[in-house]
Amino acid sequence: MVYVVAVYDVEADRTRLFLNFLRRYLTHVQNSVFEGEITEGDLEEIKRELDSMLEAGESVIVYRMSSEQYVSRTVYGEDPTDDSHFL
Amino acid sequence: MNDNYHIFSDGRVERHNDTVRLVTDDDEKKYLPIENAEALFLHGQIDFNTRVISFLDDHGVAMHVFGWNDYYSGSIMPERGQTSGQTVVEQVRAYDDEAHRGKIAREIVDGSIHNMRANVTYYDNRDYDLDSTLDALDRRREEIQSAESVEEAMGVEASARRAYYGIFDQILPEGFVFGGRKYNPPNNKVNSLISFGNSLVYANIVSAIRATALDPTISYLHEPGERRYSLALDLADLFKPVLTDRVVFRLVNRGQLSDDDFDSEMNACLLTETGRETFSKEFEQTLDRTIEHPRLNRKVSYQYLLRVEAYKLKKHLLTGEPYESFERWW
Repeated sequence: MVYVVAVYDVEADRTRLFLNFLRRYLTHVQNSVFEGEITEGDLEEIKRELDSMLEAGESVIVYRMSSEQYVSRTVYGEDPTDDSHFL
Repeated sequence: MNDNYHIFSDGRVERHNDTVRLVTDDDEKKYLPIENAEALFLHGQIDFNTRVISFLDDHGVAMHVFGWNDYYSGSIMPERGQTSGQTVVEQVRAYDDEAHRGKIAREIVDGSIHNMRANVTYYDNRDYDLDSTLDALDRRREEIQSAESVEEAMGVEASARRAYYGIFDQILPEGFVFGGRKYNPPNNKVNSLISFGNSLVYANIVSAIRATALDPTISYLHEPGERRYSLALDLADLFKPVLTDRVVFRLVNRGQLSDDDFDSEMNACLLTETGRETFSKEFEQTLDRTIEHPRLNRKVSYQYLLRVEAYKLKKHLLTGEPYESFERWW
């Protein structure tokens, strides 16, 4: 398992595409920002798919941590990952 | 494929843009990443349609339903990905062969006693004097080796569990009186916690068995056919001390549960929604804990150990490799 943060910067009318795709794997934390723990296999799948979705001038950045333990994370305000498993 | 989602709100679960989302009665929309999901646990009043069922089926995700009173009331399981007539044939053969069935049953009881003993040892090392319980469990463990019938094995397991539950009143803080195991319905706070915890263990094992080609109704220690998935009852016994009991001790000793988390009425004591939520969170954290596995040579989560147990049993039935039940090694 790896912990990833994915951010994207794409044309305004195409954000929905990326939003819908990443929602299948990660938790939506802010506009254009996702994070969560996934398997190496899923990460490869995400990278491949995102790469094929991009158009000229757009970009996605995926930060990869070997585990959540290596992330020092401070949230001010409401944390959207809070209890994402208990709804 | 290991995330459990617990839904306590009332609302509707639906397929939306290739993932699952919950629309609560207050019209809040929450998304559940489908790709890493193992199962949904429905504790609230939830509507859903066939479309979401097919979608969960495609992703091999189970839905476990809990009734108003914390009890497991059933599962909507994905279509069996693994089918193997051979496995079922071997499973039945082992059941039908008295000697073989007895051996598996004894092995399960042996592991259960070991795991109960591990909890007793933990508290024995922490200011409690539990020597007599340790001795009692050791004697039961000797007895199980010579148990001749499955009924006898069940008897040994029952008396081991009674001795084990005997220490609860010593370990638990004031305000939490146990006084022996009671269910249908649980009569006090401790019993309601154990009941809820055991139903979570059971549901997780149902998912684990589903991942193999084993038939969940053919069991060895419990009599098959009498109650639901009796193979899940067999395997759940091994994990209750490690999962349910430790979570109960942890929450209660840390004072994380208050009177408001319980609802007492008519000789019954049940967890409220917030109580169940607190319990489920701690339970999921425990399932997520990892431990170095000596045979697999890698770290595995407690949850994965459930699956390993189903695989080991299947392998034993198919190849004859001895089945060694799960014994906490850390």
